[in-house]
Amino acid sequence: MTALIELNGITKTLKGQEQRRTILHGVDLRVEAGESLAIVGRSGSGKSTLLSILGLFDRPDQGSYLLDGQEIGKLAERRAAKLRSSHFGFVFQRFFLLKHLSAAQNVAMALVNGQGWLPRRERRRRVLAALDQVGIAHLAKNRPAKMSGGEQQRVAIARALVREPRILLADEPTGALDTETGTSVIETLLGATTRGCALVLVTHDRDHAARMGRIHDLTDGVLTQRVRA
Amino acid sequence: MRRFSGRNRSALIIGLQGIRARKLRTLLSMVSLFLGILAVVAVQAGASIAERALLADIELTAGFDGTRVADLYGGPPESVDIVVDTVTGRADAVALVQVQATIGEAGVSPIQMGPSGSYEDAKTEGPADYCNTMTEAAPVCPPIGKAISVQLNAVTGDVRTFRPYRHVSGEWLTFGTVPAMAPRIVLNKEAAVAFGLYQVPAAMRIDGAVATNSITPQFIGVVDDGQGWPQAYVRMDELTAWTTTANAGMQVLLAGQTPVEQVLTSKLRAKNVPFDPYEVQSREDFKEQISLMRLLFLGLSGFVLLIGVAGVLNVGLATVGERVEEFALRRAVGTPRALLAGIVLAETLLTGLLTAAAAIGFAAGALKVAVLVMGDGDPFLAGLEFPWQAAVAGIVAGLIAGVLGGFVPAIRAARIPIATVMRA
Ligand SMILES: Nc1ncnc2c1ncn2[C@@H]1O[C@H](COP(=O)(O)OP(=O)(O)O)[C@@H](O)[C@H]1O
Ligand SMILES: [Mg+2]
Repeated sequence: MTALIELNGITKTLKGQEQRRTILHGVDLRVEAGESLAIVGRSGSGKSTLLSILGLFDRPDQGSYLLDGQEIGKLAERRAAKLRSSHFGFVFQRFFLLKHLSAAQNVAMALVNGQGWLPRRERRRRVLAALDQVGIAHLAKNRPAKMSGGEQQRVAIARALVREPRILLADEPTGALDTETGTSVIETLLGATTRGCALVLVTHDRDHAARMGRIHDLTDGVLTQRVRA
Repeated sequence: MRRFSGRNRSALIIGLQGIRARKLRTLLSMVSLFLGILAVVAVQAGASIAERALLADIELTAGFDGTRVADLYGGPPESVDIVVDTVTGRADAVALVQVQATIGEAGVSPIQMGPSGSYEDAKTEGPADYCNTMTEAAPVCPPIGKAISVQLNAVTGDVRTFRPYRHVSGEWLTFGTVPAMAPRIVLNKEAAVAFGLYQVPAAMRIDGAVATNSITPQFIGVVDDGQGWPQAYVRMDELTAWTTTANAGMQVLLAGQTPVEQVLTSKLRAKNVPFDPYEVQSREDFKEQISLMRLLFLGLSGFVLLIGVAGVLNVGLATVGERVEEFALRRAVGTPRALLAGIVLAETLLTGLLTAAAAIGFAAGALKVAVLVMGDGDPFLAGLEFPWQAAVAGIVAGLIAGVLGGFVPAIRAARIPIATVMRA
């Protein structure tokens, strides 16, 4: 059976200030629909780099990246943008909300793609459903400045979910939140997997990692699955 | 079912959101652009108005473009009769027989025109002049009881079909009615000024006419015929004292396509009188000159516009720098680069259009005020409207400025790398 995502021997070299550094040395990874996994590792170990390759922000230097069995590692930018909007949802440590837009408008932003916008009514329905899914439908009209950190991150999650993605990529989504708020945000993210969406979570928090179906360590540019005790 | 509306529309809507979110920056862009667009609008408006004014005067004196004109001088006396007989009663051809006439008191010589070629600064001998030299500030004392020399145009039909003389006062000649006993005369403005200044009693002598007794004409109106010399227009058939004179000049005006031209050519050739009309093409000749001048001024205002574009560019780059995260995020959620560039371009284009609207409104308002203040009594100024060409030029300038000012920021925005910005 073909996996949702299959990485084989992914390498990535980044050009630092002085010299080139190979961040990823042959990363292998399989992700099935609806499963959740955590990627942990030291700061600077390359977790964000891996996530940016998974999310088609960046391309691997070597190795293959299969999505539904199709090679997408060398995709042209236009098709990559299309895939980002149809298949992926992103949540970051910082929320990246546009401060001049309301919560609903921030979520609707993700509905703009190459073809333009959905009709107004359909747009409204989807935005409200996404806000409802993360539990903040009542804040739809609020600007980010009027919301707490947890609420802002929920808006960001709603923005990631509004297109009903098949893979949710979260890069330290709780890094800027207190423990309690962070935990409820993780709950919200896990909630999405019940609808068949895969979740890849980068985190420093052991408890949060433990909530995922499996845990991978990224060390010296290689990913290894942690055997559960 | 998924039905997406156009990409341009979303670029416009997001661009508008951006403008609304950054009103002060938009205002700064507009301020830097305003003078440039205003300069373009003003140059185009000035050129259009000048063109209209000058062309209108040329049309008065030469005729509408396409009018065919033939001048006949010094032919045998019967050539005048041939022409008059042929064109009388026709709408597509008019003949003007031109003679010098003196209107005023009998037995006096006409007032000489002043150095400017106008009656307005005419000098007369005798006590009137004395009154003038007493002091510089003293008003010119108008001489009384002299005569004025005009060029009399006896017309076979309505010349205004070919030359659109402007109405000033009174009425114009009517044709097709029974000729009046006392010839009805329409003066041009220059002649009217002379009569107004000198208040001459009206009797008329025609130079070289066989009949020596004077005619008493009736003045019925004044027109602007674009001529700087006194002219009078009269129906040919009302000049009963008229007999052909050897030194009468004659001009025939013909419509572009008329059988009259062929008829006249053969009739006059038979009498050995050359008849070869030329076509009035003033508009084209003239437009070339004016467009050269306009090009020069547009070049100058284009330079001012460029300075404004630099301002827009500056603000645009700063804005993109500030919005790196927004653009990276938009790319992350699947907005294609082309649409991102479109959003930035839409913002500068809208800014350019807004500025153009402001500049056009300002220019049109300024023109209206100028007309209100100075337009009194001048029919041309009073009838002056803001030329649409200037509005078009302003909009085009706004669009060009928007594209030039937004191009580089748009490319910058499209090139923002997602991975670097979003890394945690
Ligand atoms: N744009 C870049 N160019 C060069 N090196 C980079 C760039 N971004 C990050 N790096 C380096 O790559 C390594 C991995 O970074 P990153 O993937 O962000 O690690 P993590 O997310 O695990 O903390 C780090 O050593 C970092 O300094
Ligand atoms: Mg990181």
